[in-house]
Amino acid sequence: MNDVVNNSRGGTATVHAAGVSITDLRKSYGTNEVLKGISLDVAPGEVVCLIGPSGSGKSTLLRCVNLLEQPNQGSIHVGGFEATDPDVDIDKMRRKVGMVFQQFNLFPHLDAKRNCSIAQVKVLKRSQAEADKVSLHNLERVGLGHLADRFPDQLSGGQQQRVAIARALSMDPELMLFDEPTSALDPETVGDVLSVMRNLAKEGMTMLVVTHEMGFAREVADRVVFMDGGVVVEEGVAEQVIAAPAQPRTKEFLRRVLDPTHIEIEE
Amino acid sequence: MAMTARQRARVSLYVQAGIFVVAIAALILATDWKTIGNSVFNFAKIGPMFPGIFTTGLVNTLIYTVLGFVVGLSGGLLLALMKLSSFPLYRWIATGYIEFFRGIPALLVFIAFGYGVPLAFGVSWNITLVVMLSLGIVASAYIAETLRAGLQAVPKGQLEAARSLGMPQWRAMVTIVIPQAFRIVLPPLTNEVILLTKDSSLIYVLGLTASQYELTKFGRDGISSLGAGLTPLLVAGAFYLVITIPLSLLARKFESRSARTKR
Repeated sequence: MNDVVNNSRGGTATVHAAGVSITDLRKSYGTNEVLKGISLDVAPGEVVCLIGPSGSGKSTLLRCVNLLEQPNQGSIHVGGFEATDPDVDIDKMRRKVGMVFQQFNLFPHLDAKRNCSIAQVKVLKRSQAEADKVSLHNLERVGLGHLADRFPDQLSGGQQQRVAIARALSMDPELMLFDEPTSALDPETVGDVLSVMRNLAKEGMTMLVVTHEMGFAREVADRVVFMDGGVVVEEGVAEQVIAAPAQPRTKEFLRRVLDPTHIEIEE
Repeated sequence: MAMTARQRARVSLYVQAGIFVVAIAALILATDWKTIGNSVFNFAKIGPMFPGIFTTGLVNTLIYTVLGFVVGLSGGLLLALMKLSSFPLYRWIATGYIEFFRGIPALLVFIAFGYGVPLAFGVSWNITLVVMLSLGIVASAYIAETLRAGLQAVPKGQLEAARSLGMPQWRAMVTIVIPQAFRIVLPPLTNEVILLTKDSSLIYVLGLTASQYELTKFGRDGISSLGAGLTPLLVAGAFYLVITIPLSLLARKFESRSARTKR
């Protein structure tokens, strides 16, 4: 796919962007059903934020998309792949899907550049020289070209997360999944990571983002999906869901998140 | 006279040290130095041990240890992966192997291997091969447990990140997980090499020829030929320390390095 994407963020870019289509997805751990029939479509180039209380199933849903969790029922289509097909080539599909974790999960025994190049060389069979070039380009893209030789333990949390984003981008993904990318960061480094993600959205990348950053969701997301108890409670245009939610559960959640020190006086 | 708690603690420490010193002094006084001097510290007669103890004894001990370690490490890695497998049969085989070979004396394994297997298959085989396999079989059981702990200490997110980049399971293990596991187990693995060095002394039971003698057999040979009592064994023992003390220092260095950085 080589689409010219016009999106609400005002950016126009030529990208390879893939869409996601999830239909009636169910996932249980033993008798505990964490996803109770989720249906969700993400168009190529669209940015969708998943919000909701912890335990609502949003991370599980995200991890089902690249099969880090195996769904029990329903179907997931990613680009040209049917992830839920038992015969799917998981590794081939995952090359198209970048994943960014809450805990970064950088490879501690490799420097930033090697973190970005290792899978290019071993999976995409690029030459080391070509892979290094791509890695440096992507490290520069996240503002860390000058730290390419640093090891993960020599980088701050925010820098590590940006390297992790560069690592995922180095595989030329058509879809990026973010699993609470700023939740493990010191507050002062959150902004750097969010601005990298904002730029990525402008370039037309398809993004599915689990986040608690309501400001980011409101500004960058095309759509926001509020999940609670394993179901989609409400979804719609970001501005509308966050500023004027229709469902009482959404209202209650947003009130707690946006005004955490608010104390209700009960009679 | 009343003492403070700190003074009492100090006096008690002095008393302990005093008892220790007295006990050692008593042992030294009770020793028959004249007799033992002739049979254990008789260094005047050990000249013929040199330079053979270097060129044969030390060299063979090192060769046997390295060969045993290579087999032990490969076998240990295989067993560790089997033990962590999701396929129950692999886990049972690995557990059975590890428990069996850790549970019986290494000496019995060497005898069984050196004599039993040639009888069973009607072949007489190369002694170096027997030594390598018998040391490796025992070492792999110990190394497997060490490596398993190391593999489990690598955070689950590492495998997930590697798989998310499109690496197949085996590639993710080889490129990402196993190298990190080795870093974690470097100190205990060095200790396994020390144990293996000492275990190599047991292979004298396999009937080595003179050129195949390792340190202990070389020392035992000296006992019967030099008339210096047990002194040759003392010399051989010193040579083991030449190998094991640097290894021990190395292990400590690895430990302090991994304590300093998490890398």
